Parts: sequence; C-alpha cells; structure tokens
Amino acid sequence: MIQVTNAVKRFDGFAALDGATLSVPAGSVYGLVGPNGAGKSTLIRCLTGIYRQDEGELTVDGQGVWENEALKCRIAAIADDWYYFPQASVRDMCRFLRGFYPTFSLERYEKLKEVFQIDERRPLRRLSKGMQKQAAFWLTLSAMPDYLVLDEPVDGLDPVMRRQVWSLVLGDVSQRGTTVLVSSHNLRELEDVCDHVGILDHGKVLLERSLAQLQDNMVKLQVVFKDGGGVPEDLEVLHASHVGRIHTLIMRMGAAEATNRLAVYEPMLVDAVPLTLEEIFIYELGGADYAVKDIVL
Amino acid sequence: MISLNYRDSRPIYEQIKDGLRKLIVTGAIGTDEKLPSVRSLATQLSINPNTIQRAYNELEGEGYIYSVPGKGSFAAGEADAGMSRRKELWEKVRELLAELRYLGVRQEELMVLLQEEPSGGTPAGKGKEEMP
Repeated sequence: MIQVTNAVKRFDGFAALDGATLSVPAGSVYGLVGPNGAGKSTLIRCLTGIYRQDEGELTVDGQGVWENEALKCRIAAIADDWYYFPQASVRDMCRFLRGFYPTFSLERYEKLKEVFQIDERRPLRRLSKGMQKQAAFWLTLSAMPDYLVLDEPVDGLDPVMRRQVWSLVLGDVSQRGTTVLVSSHNLRELEDVCDHVGILDHGKVLLERSLAQLQDNMVKLQVVFKDGGGVPEDLEVLHASHVGRIHTLIMRMGAAEATNRLAVYEPMLVDAVPLTLEEIFIYELGGADYAVKDIVL
Repeated sequence: MISLNYRDSRPIYEQIKDGLRKLIVTGAIGTDEKLPSVRSLATQLSINPNTIQRAYNELEGEGYIYSVPGKGSFAAGEADAGMSRRKELWEKVRELLAELRYLGVRQEELMVLLQEEPSGGTPAGKGKEEMP
C-alpha cells in the first residue's frame, strides 16, 4: 500500500506538490491523471526516492521511501526518460540491475526475450524510442518488483506492443498481487487497466475513487422535457447543454436515481448513458476552472 | 471469445457481462461448463482483473453463473435469472415495438412474429395483454 499524506515539494518557491494526499491499495492498478504541470511526475519522483519531499509523508508499506534501500529494492519504476548508461546494451543493464534487485529473475529475462525480440547486445542508444521503452519494460518486469511505478509508460509503443505490455503487467497484478501506479494521458487506455483513479491538479489531489464508484456516481442523461421546456431550476446538475429540444445533463448520482429524479417532471424522453473516464476528467476539472476554451484564431 | 468495443458507451465490465451472458444464453458455454478464469481473461483482454471480477460477481448475482471456491466460475443451467434482467429486456422490447409501429408495421404482422417464435409462449401471452 502506498500512502501519500500532505506531500509538498517546492522548486524555487513554486510548489509542484501542494499538499497532495492519496492512497494506493495493495494489489490495485492506480491511474494518476491530471493536466500538464499538475505534479504527476514530481509525485512519482518523490515516490521512487529521486526527490525528497519538503513536507508531508510518503510511505510504502508503512515505511518512508527516502534513502530506504531495503524498500527501494521492491519498487521498480519506468520514468518518462528512462536512464541507461551511454554505451550499455540490454544485457549490460540486466547485469547492472541484478545487483540492485534481489528478486531479479534471469528465467523471466530469457522468457521475455521472445516477447520483445530486441538484440540484447545492441547498444541501447542505437535503438529507437519505442524500442528503448520496450527494453525498459523487459528489464523492469524481469526485476519482479512488488511495486511498479510507471510514468507515461506506453508512450511511443506500437498498438500491438501496448496490448502486450499491459497483458504482462496485468498478469503480474492478478498472479503476484503487484501494485501498480501509472500516470498517463491516455484515459481510454487507463479505463481498461485501472481500478482506481486519482485526479491531480495544481499539486493537489482533486478526487480519488475506485473506477466502479466513479462510473456509478456520475451519469449523462439525454432528456426531452414536456412542452419543450428547459431544465427545471431545482434540479442539481453538474453541467447542462442542449441542442434543440434535447438537453444533455451531467448529474452526480447513479443512473437509476437520476432517472427517478427526472420522472417527477414527466419528460418525453430520458436516456441515461454512462460517462467515459475522459468525460469525467473533463467535467471534474471543468468545475476547477479548467476546460477547453472556445477561442477562434 | 469476447470482443470489446472501445467506441461502445457501455463500461468495460458491462461489455464483458453482456458478452459472457450471450455465450451462456446461446449455449456456447454449456451448463456447468467452466468459464475462463479471471486471470486468463485479464491477460487475454489486457483488462484489470478487478473489472472482470466485477462482471463475474454481477452475473452470479443475476443467476447466470455460480462459483465454486478454489475451482472457478461455472455456467448455471436453467436461467433462474433475476427479475431485473427480465424487466430490462421487457423495456427493450417495448422500445423496439414503439419504433416498429412508428415505421408503420401493422399489429397483425407483429402478432405473426410473436407466434413464430419457438420459445415465446409466455411472452406472447403477456404481449397480447400489453398491446392496445
């Protein structure tokens, strides 16, 4: 279990993390989302022991991460800019990482060789961006960590490799109970792989839920009111828009409850549609003054 | 055997639920036959295992499958499926009928359709009462 409590990290007075609090249950896949500059990567760097937080607490299994060697052996991360030695090949990096991860499995390394099909003797710097990412996954999955921290992990991977990589990661989650924290902008993809989601904005966690809760607690309704009327004023809606007589309402409640609430107004048509994670993201941040602006250039 | 449609507005767990239900209802998964394990579906579809577990739990609640601890999930035979599903389908039929009527399909034609359905004994009877 990863627990972050009121973490603050400042750079030259600018608070990249500003009292972020979140908890990642053991064995879950936690999706960290947020607009650019929200502090996702800073949080991830704090959790992997690269940065030291200025205030607050970051614990993994109840222990602080900073300079905690025994704990860091159990955490593996793929950063956005994965580091390798300038002349190193996959095999060199394998030798290097084996010294750090007691759980590193050569048997796995050999098995995964068939999946990734990268020449293990070729210098990493001569591989393409996507292939370097593949190499990172190959080595990280071979290390068999208890905690996997991924920053924009499938950026640059081709569609087949994305599926392949997620399939391997989720196999580990269901088989070994690996806990995964993943930051990404690909909400469509996160929706498949995550069971928990946290939205980070301006260094704070705006909302943190399980995906099931998130989907059950927000609903999009298409409604046509009687006599072409508008949205009743006493109805609590998060967002309302209309095209002709069809009103689209976003409400913070389950589909059944929302339909019941609307039944009072005897609408001509009510159609409840579940929201995608992308829509939830947009509407939640819309409340926090972050939305697509209508600017014509 | 289950395909997910990413353009579908239904959440993933519902797509899995509907997919499995279809397999069971059509007999593609026979009575007491074992369903794929959560783990294998998770890796096969690259979907979070908890999402799949949720679909399984709800199918069990509806009576389509039963689980044996330590062994896995199996298709239940007779559809002692819950009333909720029956209601849901009933609504769908009503919607379809409304649209068919809008398209000018006559009452008699609909009746013929209901009668030719082999296992439609009870619903047809109910239908007669419902239709004006």
